[in-house]
Amino acid sequence: MGKILESLKLTIIAGVVLTVVMIFATNAIYDSQMSAPEAAAADIMNNM
Amino acid sequence: MEAELFLIRYLHVLSGIMWIGILWYFNFVQIPSMPKIPDEQKPAIGKVIAPEALFWFRWGAFFTVFFGLALAWRSGYMMDALMLKEPNIGIGMWLGLIMAFNVWFIIWPAQKIALGIVEADASEKPANARKAMLFSRTNTMLSIPMLASMISVQNPIM
Repeated sequence: MGKILESLKLTIIAGVVLTVVMIFATNAIYDSQMSAPEAAAADIMNNM
Repeated sequence: MEAELFLIRYLHVLSGIMWIGILWYFNFVQIPSMPKIPDEQKPAIGKVIAPEALFWFRWGAFFTVFFGLALAWRSGYMMDALMLKEPNIGIGMWLGLIMAFNVWFIIWPAQKIALGIVEADASEKPANARKAMLFSRTNTMLSIPMLASMISVQNPIM
């Protein structure tokens, strides 16, 4: 970790990677909080 | 209520620009430039510019968090966000809180030693300068997802 943080370029790349991870984590949290009817409605909306 | 929320959000964004602007100044400008500055000119950075920048940096961090929490509380989503029931804003809030903790409780105490603002053994200065730099870089890394999380509230990504 120290090696990454010593380099500004690697720090920025790590920040971008974390952002992508955060986007998927946010989506997973939303999905896990959906009730069954909400999940079914979301599936229908996504397939339209 | 609308005017109050506008004012709190405006002060939150102003403080945030102050905070993250100076964080990025340290990481994108000052730290990479230090090796290029002649030794006789380095005290201008260490004795004048850095202490002044650190003043606005840490208070920018404080008021960003203060107005951010005030905005979340007055808007009624503070607990939902902190419990990640609203993960878009919640993850950003937690990243911001971790970053502000780093500023006040790790970077600022280490910089006070590194810059000679408090009395300390000369041998402690290099270790504290490195500690401040690494945590400042950590905050630079975290600022990228933190800002993405903050703006995703207005424009959801997925």
